Amino acid sequence: MDIKLEDIEMRRDIYALISRLMITEVDEEFLEIIEKNSEMLNLLPNYKAWGKRKEFSNKILKERYYDVDFTNLSLLHLVPYETFYTRDDQMIESGAENPILEIYDALNFTVRLEEARVISGDHIGVELEFMYSLCDTMLKAFEEKDNDAIHEILLIQRGFLKDHLLNWSPMYLINMKKESRTPLYHDGAELTLQFILEDYEYLNHQLKIPLVEKI
Amino acid sequence: MVKKMNKNDSSFFESRRTFLKGTAYTVAGATLAKGVFSTVIDTPAMADELKSIPLSNGTPLHYPPLEEWDSFKELDGDDWKRGGTGRNGVESEENANGIKVNEFMLVPTACSNCEAACGLTAWVEVGKYKKTGNPKDLFVRKYMGNPLHAGSRGRNCAKGYAVQSQMYDPDRIPFPLKRAPGSKRGEGKWIRSSWDDAMKEIGAKLAKLVKSDSPTAKKEFIYHVGRPNENGFGPRVPQSLGLDGWDSHTNICSAGAREATIQWANDDRNSPDFAGSKLIFLQSSHAGDAGHYFQQAAGRIADARKKGAKLVVMDPRLSNSAGMADLWVPVYPGTEAALYLYLTNRILNEKDINGDDLVNHNFVKNWVNWDRLMANKEYLALLVEKKYIKAVPEGDSYEDFIKMISEMYSHYTLDFVVKECRVEARTIEKLYDMFIDAGARISTYIWRAGTIAHRGGWMNGRTAFLPLVLRGAMAGDIGGVSMHHWHEISVNGRGEKATVAGKQPAKVDAWNDLAWPPEYPLSTYEMSHMLPHMLLDDEWRNNWNSKGLNIPEKISVYVPRMYNPVWINPDGFRWIEALKREDKIELSFNLSPTWSETNWYCDYVLPVGLAGERHDQHSSPTQPSRWLAFRQPALRVALEKLGWEAKQPSRGTLEAHMAAGLGEIWEEVEFWATMMVEYVDPDGSLGVRESWASKKDPKRAVTIAEWYDAAFDNLPNLKKTASEHPKYKEKPYPNYEMMRDMGTWLEEDNIYRPQEKALRKEGDAYIAHGHKYSVDEVEKDQFGTLLVEHEGEKKAIGVEVDGELMQGFHTLSKKLEFFSEWFAEWKWPEYAVPIYPKNKEERKTMIHLVTQVHHDYMEKENEFALNTVFRLPYNIHTRSVNSKHLMEISQNHNPVWINTEDAKRMNIKQGDAIKVNVTDTVTGLDSGYFIAMAVPTEATMPGVLANSHHAGRWKLKNAVDIPGFSHQLGVMGLGAPLYDMTMDGKIGTLKPKEGLKDAMYERRDSWQFKEFNKDLDNIWWDGLSGAWQNAVAPSHPDPIAGNHAWHLKVAIEPAGAEDTIGDIYVNYENNMKVMQGWRDKLTRPLQVGDTIRRPRHMKRTGPALSHEAYNVEIKG
Repeated sequence: MDIKLEDIEMRRDIYALISRLMITEVDEEFLEIIEKNSEMLNLLPNYKAWGKRKEFSNKILKERYYDVDFTNLSLLHLVPYETFYTRDDQMIESGAENPILEIYDALNFTVRLEEARVISGDHIGVELEFMYSLCDTMLKAFEEKDNDAIHEILLIQRGFLKDHLLNWSPMYLINMKKESRTPLYHDGAELTLQFILEDYEYLNHQLKIPLVEKI
Repeated sequence: MVKKMNKNDSSFFESRRTFLKGTAYTVAGATLAKGVFSTVIDTPAMADELKSIPLSNGTPLHYPPLEEWDSFKELDGDDWKRGGTGRNGVESEENANGIKVNEFMLVPTACSNCEAACGLTAWVEVGKYKKTGNPKDLFVRKYMGNPLHAGSRGRNCAKGYAVQSQMYDPDRIPFPLKRAPGSKRGEGKWIRSSWDDAMKEIGAKLAKLVKSDSPTAKKEFIYHVGRPNENGFGPRVPQSLGLDGWDSHTNICSAGAREATIQWANDDRNSPDFAGSKLIFLQSSHAGDAGHYFQQAAGRIADARKKGAKLVVMDPRLSNSAGMADLWVPVYPGTEAALYLYLTNRILNEKDINGDDLVNHNFVKNWVNWDRLMANKEYLALLVEKKYIKAVPEGDSYEDFIKMISEMYSHYTLDFVVKECRVEARTIEKLYDMFIDAGARISTYIWRAGTIAHRGGWMNGRTAFLPLVLRGAMAGDIGGVSMHHWHEISVNGRGEKATVAGKQPAKVDAWNDLAWPPEYPLSTYEMSHMLPHMLLDDEWRNNWNSKGLNIPEKISVYVPRMYNPVWINPDGFRWIEALKREDKIELSFNLSPTWSETNWYCDYVLPVGLAGERHDQHSSPTQPSRWLAFRQPALRVALEKLGWEAKQPSRGTLEAHMAAGLGEIWEEVEFWATMMVEYVDPDGSLGVRESWASKKDPKRAVTIAEWYDAAFDNLPNLKKTASEHPKYKEKPYPNYEMMRDMGTWLEEDNIYRPQEKALRKEGDAYIAHGHKYSVDEVEKDQFGTLLVEHEGEKKAIGVEVDGELMQGFHTLSKKLEFFSEWFAEWKWPEYAVPIYPKNKEERKTMIHLVTQVHHDYMEKENEFALNTVFRLPYNIHTRSVNSKHLMEISQNHNPVWINTEDAKRMNIKQGDAIKVNVTDTVTGLDSGYFIAMAVPTEATMPGVLANSHHAGRWKLKNAVDIPGFSHQLGVMGLGAPLYDMTMDGKIGTLKPKEGLKDAMYERRDSWQFKEFNKDLDNIWWDGLSGAWQNAVAPSHPDPIAGNHAWHLKVAIEPAGAEDTIGDIYVNYENNMKVMQGWRDKLTRPLQVGDTIRRPRHMKRTGPALSHEAYNVEIKG
């Protein structure tokens, strides 16, 4: 295990970015933060090159383009919930039977559904924010030099990626990328997919798990 | 653009692969996250200043902020529909057509319609009063929740919102009533009295009792409390009089469950952490949809389920909770113990999927008193003799104990449970899997139903906790089960510092045999359901008096308080018989806000307030925290905040209610203080006065502000906050004034594993139970229990576990007691460990554990067990009847449920009237019958009928004339039909005569408070929602716990042509014999050689007794 502070911060920040992008409509504050940060813009190359960014204000972009696209991608045409992809009947499990809730509960996490404005805790944005929260916890463990805790969180994150996020979200993200009508969500889908694949490799590396274990 | 983007751009891919290597974006990254997760860990532990007073977590409800509660303006609910302020503007002198704006003062209070003490806010309309200065312009527009309340979180059930309709009930008793001189009890002739006239007569009678040197005088007062809905004030009343005069209703309610927790933990009840659990395991629907503390419990259960927890409901009836559970387990009533011991067997004798033990050895080894059992070879030999085990184990180690009980419970197999409980095998196996999957995070609330309805019901509780103990779920940890006293606040009776005495009244030196008779030394609570029987049973009394006891022949003063014992107890005709006997009950008065069946037979009805009309400190163990609710009279508080002052400060609530036009409505705290100071002991010669007179002004009784400021002083965090807060610190009564504003307080939160708290030590002394014990006087026994000498006896103050001194549980061993040593010593050794008979032979010898409705007793095709003990979520036992809102939603909801197969077999169809005949299985005597409507349904299991005993109200007159009152006063007009009654000392009958609708409309012009009850005209029901089945039921005293075992063996048949739904026919002569049969055949009374009345460590409710009061000598 060779964990660096900047690795944890980086992972935490990227999970924060992609979870926020996936969980609900963007707001002007979010857009301003991206605009002001060239590193972030580099992660979203098509967005960075998009002419309309210069043409319209963020308010107009949000109302005319982003919100419409988000609605298409997460409500109308695609279904960003794990159980939709994992259940035979393609029904979203919004009740207590949802296995993801047991994981959150085991770690004393509670999803405030009304805050997230989603119907179930297995929404892609919530699952990504769960990874973010674990990074945040890992940061505290790092500050306290608690290597056991760091190791445990790495194991949890790897397991969660393997058994959940990577098990279904690539299907959604590929569809999202294809269906997207704005470079923000197109790049966002791409970024998310590539990052979680990369992150999974990183976690295996840290845990010294051989590649054959990979999905 | 889109097409371009979707090209597989390799350079774009490549750039992604450098995230963790080079991308240097950290600015504000983390702040982007939406933050949809909350964690238990981050929950603030305790309020230390007002601004951090925990608002209920995450409530989605909208209330004005606390700062605006004294004046909150809101558009009128009706008026805004005219078009809103945008079109019409706001109403004012200049704009008469504007939309009306109401100005409210939100006065926090607490619901009193069940025991949960949910927070309320009374929305007092103050706008008009501010203009006119006339207190009669004040009224409560609505009751909502209190968002500051940590337990109820701003939410309420139907009963909470009903408080407004109760407050403005058209038949509300407006002033003290007195039985008309010259009339007999029950004739229904009443005159208007006054509080002072009533107090004068009652006070003189009480003073006479206090002065008397008769050997029975100290036992001739009974203060009989329904649901107390307060913590600790009531018992102070008899205690300050030096009388042992206290009866609770608890032995018809929950005493069976309490017996179980007393044996395990010497605690009154269990207290789960539903919200943190993985499995909510309910025996009955009680916590889920109807009973103790259901609105709050249901919210916590829903929170847990949202996180993935499962819900199992064991109940013969498909209740609302069972209907939405993950698993419904319909168990034959009263056999639950068999199922619990089956779980125990598998936990002890199987392994988990990894091959590890299922028993949580760490918890069991440290916190169960197995060591005392293994050291008691004599008792182990008894277990062999009783064939519970084959041989006394050779060793006495923990491993030997586990091995021994693994054998002991191995007989409780799946086959046995399927037959005994009549549950399908697959259901039981699924239950087991869910039980194991949840680990130690299983919560339960073992309460009514299985524990109160049956002979031996307490063992259904005792065995229920065993599998939970073995899995470690009783450690009081997150998601598990703890004990109530760690989760409750009791200071309502602790205002003594505000009195002249400055201390609690002296302990009482008497033992009331009518409440605690010698047949029931281990009864959990008072034997109040047998009170009239004992009063009228000369032979019983003479027998015990000849053995040296002094059982009184009569009660001088009988005081039901917010209680309707005639209607709610079994064998109601016996209660009427006793109340009618003026030689047996010399004076009776009910402190009651409403009419009731009991009031009809009292000498006085003294109207005390409902939820928003009285002061109480009330707390309930609804979660792992300690919170309190402060009940307040809303109109009084509003008046006082707006500058009004009472002429007599110790009568503020009465004066405020009279001023505001509510009526002569008072409250107990002020009533009793005034009664004692002004009428019982005006000169102080009896020693009573000093406990109630104000320290500040000894000429008068203590005031509310004085009393509660002193009472709340006992809560360190509350006191600290009030004394430091700028708004309150300079006030004369900072604690009281802060609570007057907030109405609730969270003293301590997140209370987990409380038994592991370190034993407090200061210098060379340990602190336990409010006493200091020098280290030198503490000795440790061989099991690690720390003991001291206290009043000549050994008392445990702590326990050593793993080398640490901890506070432990409240038992004598300070651990959970699998083996109840004292129970064995008190004549019941064969039941001192969790056990249940395994076959018919054992059911005969262990009859005390076998329900009176066991299927062994059902011999004919038309015989059934009648499940009576389930609450209806909109009913309040007896006070629903004065709420239009509640009566309206209660109609036709109480038929007899019968399984469709049984109905088919007996040719019973939906809506048929059936005759339900009640028979006792101990004496074989018939009690009579009631007529009810049948509803075939698969929601009750075959062989088991269901009919809640919470319906079937009645009255004998629609209204009464009160001389001097301008019109007739209605009697329970919204909920009780008119009946004809006959009773001749042996047989009693009721027959419905007339529904309620016509009678209500006839006196429409005389309804009180019509302006606040605008839809009173819409009464569409006639009120026949059930028969008074409680009167048919004989009293079934459990031989050990003493509770009334509610369920009935019944035989059903089609009703005859002359029968009407609602009819009852009761042979109450037989019912007396049934009670005597249970008492005389099944108990193990005190006998020659016994020296004390009851184990001293066991809670005995009511006034505190002196050490000597427990002593007894039974003569041969």
